[in-house]
Amino acid sequence: MPHEATDSFWQSRRLEKAIFTPVVEAGAIRAAVLVFAGYYLGARVGFALTFQPHPISVFWPPNSILLAALLLTSPRIWWFLLLAAFPAHLIAELQSQVPPTMVVCWFISNCSEAVIGAGLTRYLLTGPVRFDNLRSVAAFCLCAGFLGPFLSSFIDAGFVALNGWGQGSYVENWRARFFSNVLSSLTLAPAILTWFNFRPTQWKRISSGHALEGSVLFLGLVIASTVVLYNARTNPDPVLFYAPLPFLLWAVFRFGARATSAAILIITFLAIWSSAHGHGPFTSQSAEINARSIQMFLIVMTVPIMLLAAGIQERRKAEERFAEAFRSSPDPMSIIRRRDGILIDVNDHWVNTFGCERKDAIGRSLLDLNLCLSKGGHVRQMIDRRQSEPIRDLDCELRTSAGEVRHVSLSADVVEMGNEPCLVVIIRDITDRKRAEEMTRDLAHASRLATVGELSASIAHEINQPLGAILSNADAAELLLESESPPLEEVRKILGDIRNDDLRASDIIRHIRLLTRKQVMQMEPLDVNEISGDVVRLMEPEARRRNVSLRTKFTAAPGTILGDRVHLQQVLMNLILNGMEAMTDTPESERNLLVRTATNGQRTVEISVTDSGRGIPPEKLPRLFESFYTTKENGMGLGLAIVRSIIDSHRGQIFAENNSDIGATLRFDLPVSDEVTSS
Amino acid sequence: MASSVSEKPIVHVVDDDDSLRKAVTRLLRAAGYDVRAYASAGEFALASRENNKRGCVLLDVRMPGPSGLDLQEALAREEEPLPVIFLTAHGDVPTTVRAMKAGAVDFLTKPIKREMLLSAVRTALARDLRLHTSHEQRRDLRMRFTKLTQRERNVFELVVAGRLNKQIAAELGMAERTVKAHRAQVMAKMQATSLAELVHLADKMQYGIV
Repeated sequence: MPHEATDSFWQSRRLEKAIFTPVVEAGAIRAAVLVFAGYYLGARVGFALTFQPHPISVFWPPNSILLAALLLTSPRIWWFLLLAAFPAHLIAELQSQVPPTMVVCWFISNCSEAVIGAGLTRYLLTGPVRFDNLRSVAAFCLCAGFLGPFLSSFIDAGFVALNGWGQGSYVENWRARFFSNVLSSLTLAPAILTWFNFRPTQWKRISSGHALEGSVLFLGLVIASTVVLYNARTNPDPVLFYAPLPFLLWAVFRFGARATSAAILIITFLAIWSSAHGHGPFTSQSAEINARSIQMFLIVMTVPIMLLAAGIQERRKAEERFAEAFRSSPDPMSIIRRRDGILIDVNDHWVNTFGCERKDAIGRSLLDLNLCLSKGGHVRQMIDRRQSEPIRDLDCELRTSAGEVRHVSLSADVVEMGNEPCLVVIIRDITDRKRAEEMTRDLAHASRLATVGELSASIAHEINQPLGAILSNADAAELLLESESPPLEEVRKILGDIRNDDLRASDIIRHIRLLTRKQVMQMEPLDVNEISGDVVRLMEPEARRRNVSLRTKFTAAPGTILGDRVHLQQVLMNLILNGMEAMTDTPESERNLLVRTATNGQRTVEISVTDSGRGIPPEKLPRLFESFYTTKENGMGLGLAIVRSIIDSHRGQIFAENNSDIGATLRFDLPVSDEVTSS
Repeated sequence: MASSVSEKPIVHVVDDDDSLRKAVTRLLRAAGYDVRAYASAGEFALASRENNKRGCVLLDVRMPGPSGLDLQEALAREEEPLPVIFLTAHGDVPTTVRAMKAGAVDFLTKPIKREMLLSAVRTALARDLRLHTSHEQRRDLRMRFTKLTQRERNVFELVVAGRLNKQIAAELGMAERTVKAHRAQVMAKMQATSLAELVHLADKMQYGIV
C-alpha cells in the first residue's frame, strides 16, 4: 500500500500512465494486422469465386473474417479493427474498377453486418461463442448467420441502388447479397473461430491412430466431394448430393466442432470453385440461379451439422465431466446395474478400499466378489424391490476382499444409463470415525459406572427403604394372622403396601440398570424438565447424605429437545455431583444446589446447576472441559470432558462460570427440536 | 413407685420414609407395643410426652432436617433420657461408632428381621425400666432425706461413715443417748431396717444410678 508521503508520487504516475498509455495495446495492433491481411486475402478469394458478370460473389469471405475478428475481441477495440479493415477494403476493391463511392458504401454495409452479427451474438451469450455448446451455436446461427446478413443486405442493396451500380433490381441485389453472406458467415466464421485458438502443440496430443483416422477422413471427404461436385454431370442423381454427408457425420462424431467446420469449409470451397469453373452439378442454369442453388445446398447442410456437432460435444462433455467426477471422487464409487446387481464401473478409490482390481470387479456382482454388506442389505433391497428412492448416509458394514470389515456410510441414486436403471453408489469409509465414537461411548459408559459407583451408598439406602418396609410388613401380617381373630382388612392393606414397595424397589433398580447399560446414542424427543426431575430424584438421597439442600426451578414451558435420555441424565448427574463435591468444605447449613431449566427464546433450552461451594479457580476455567484436566485431588479429569463430548453430540454448548457471590454455575444449552415443535 | 410402673411403655418410631414407618409401626403394634410414629426429628421433639415418659425411640439416621444422631444428642441431655435404637437403610462405620458411643442400645440396618427388632426393643425397654426404677428410687430417697432434721442428717452422715455412737457423740458434742435417739429417728425416716441397708441407701442417694 502506498504510504501517505508517496501518494502524490503515485498520483503523478497514474496521470503519466493515462497520458502515455497507447490508445490500443500491442494485442490489438496484432489483431488489426491480421484483420487487414485477412480482409484483403478474403476479398481476393471472394473475387475469384464471383460468377461473372454478376457483381456479387457467391461466397464473400471478408465480412466473415471481420465478423470472426469482432467475435474474438473486446468491443472496446472494434473501432480499431474496422479502421484496419478499411485500407484492405480500398486496396482490394479499387483494383476491380468499382467507383470509389460504391467502394466506401460497401465497406459501410460490410462493417454493419459484422457489427450487427457480433454485437447481437455477444448480447445473447455471456461468454465467447463455443461450437461445442448447442445454445451458443444456435445464437451464432441466428444473430451472426441470419440477422447480420439480413439487416445489412438492406443497407447494401440500398447503396447499390443509390450509386446506380449494376443491373439488378433492389430485391435481386438484396437476395444475392443475403445468401452469399449467410453462407460465408455460417461456413467461414466458425472455421476461423474454432481454429483460431489452435496451437501447434495440440497436434502432439493427438494419438497416431486418431491422426491416421483424420487423414483417411480428409482424403475420403475430398474424394467424395470432388466426385460429386466436380466430376458429376449437370443433372446428377440426387443421391450423389448425400455422398459427403457420411464424412461430415464422421467428423462430427469422431473429431468435434473444429474438424466439422473445416470439413464444411472444404465442401463449400469445392462446390463453389467447381461451379465457377463450369464443373459439377451447379452449372445448368444462369449464373445467378446456379449461385443460389449452391448457397441453398450448403446452408441447408451446414446448419444442422453444426448443431449436431455442438449437441454431441455437449453431451460428451457432460459424460466426461461425470466420468471425471466418478474417477477422481475422493470416495469409493461404483455403478451397479439394477437388473442383476452387476458392477458396471468402479473408481480408483473403490479399488483401493476393497482391494479388488477394476477389471476383476466389472461384470460381476458384489455377492460374486464376496464383498457383501454384512449389515443393512439396502442396496440388495434397491436391486430386488425396484425401489427408486435415493439412499442417503446409510450406515452399514462392508467386507473388503482381504476380509476386513469396514464401516461405511452409503448413499445411492437410481440413474438411467443407456435406458438401463443403474445405481450410482457412493460410500464413505467411516471406520475411523466409528472407532472414535465407540471409544467415546466406552468412556462415557465407564464414567457413568463411576458416577453410579459414587452414588452406591445412596442407592443402597434407597433400595433398602422399600425392602425394609416389605419385610416388616410381612412380619406384621404374620403376627396378625397368628391372633385368634385375624384383622383380614388390615392384612389386605399390608399386602397392598408390600406390592407398592416392591414396585418402588424394582423401579429404582431399573433406573440404575438403564444408567449403567452400555448403549449407542438414541435420539428421541425429550422434555428437559422430565429429565432433570428424574435426575434430581435420583440424586436426592445423595444430597441428603451430603447434607446438601437440593432445589429445582423449572421453566413453565420447556421446548422439546432431541436427545439421548441416558446420556443427558449422565451429564446432569455429573454436574450435580461436581457441585456437591465443590461444597464439601462449605458449612452444612450453606450447602445449596439449584438445578434450573430455562428457555432462551424459541431456539435453545438451558439447564444449569448452581452450587454454593468453593468456586472454580479462574485460571482453570478455560481448560475445565478438557480431558485429563481436573480441579479435584483424586479426579481422573474425564467427567467433564465426557460431559462436553455428550453435549457436543447433541449440538449444544456447555459453559462454566463463577457466581458473583459464592460458588459456580455450570450450564449447557440444547437446540429446541424443530421437527417436534412444528409437528 | 407402684403407680409409675403401671404406665405402659411407648415405642417411638421416627423415620421420614412413610411406608417403612408404617410397616414398622404395624409390626410393633402386632407384637403388642404401644407405638407412636413421627416423620421427622422435629415432629418428635414437638410432641408432648408429659403424660408418659416411659419407652424407647426407634430412630432413622438420615432424615431431612435434624438427623437421628442430632436427636440422640438432644435426648441425652434430658433428665430421664429414653433409650435409642437406630434403624438405618445404610449404616457406615463412623456413624455406627458415633451412635454406639453416645449410648445407643443397638444399631440396626433395614431390612430388619423381626426377632432382631423385637429383641432390641425389649432390651431398650428393659433398660428404660431399670433407669426409670433407679430414678424413682433416688427421688424417693431424696424425699425421705429431706424429712431429716439438720442434727439427724449429721448423725446419718457419720453413721454411714462407720462411726460408733460414742465417737459420733464426741464429734457432735452431744450425749450418747441423744445420738441413739437421732439414729433411731434416721432409721425410721429413711425406712431402713438395718445399718447395712442404711449404708446402701446412702450410696444410692449419693451416686444416683444403679
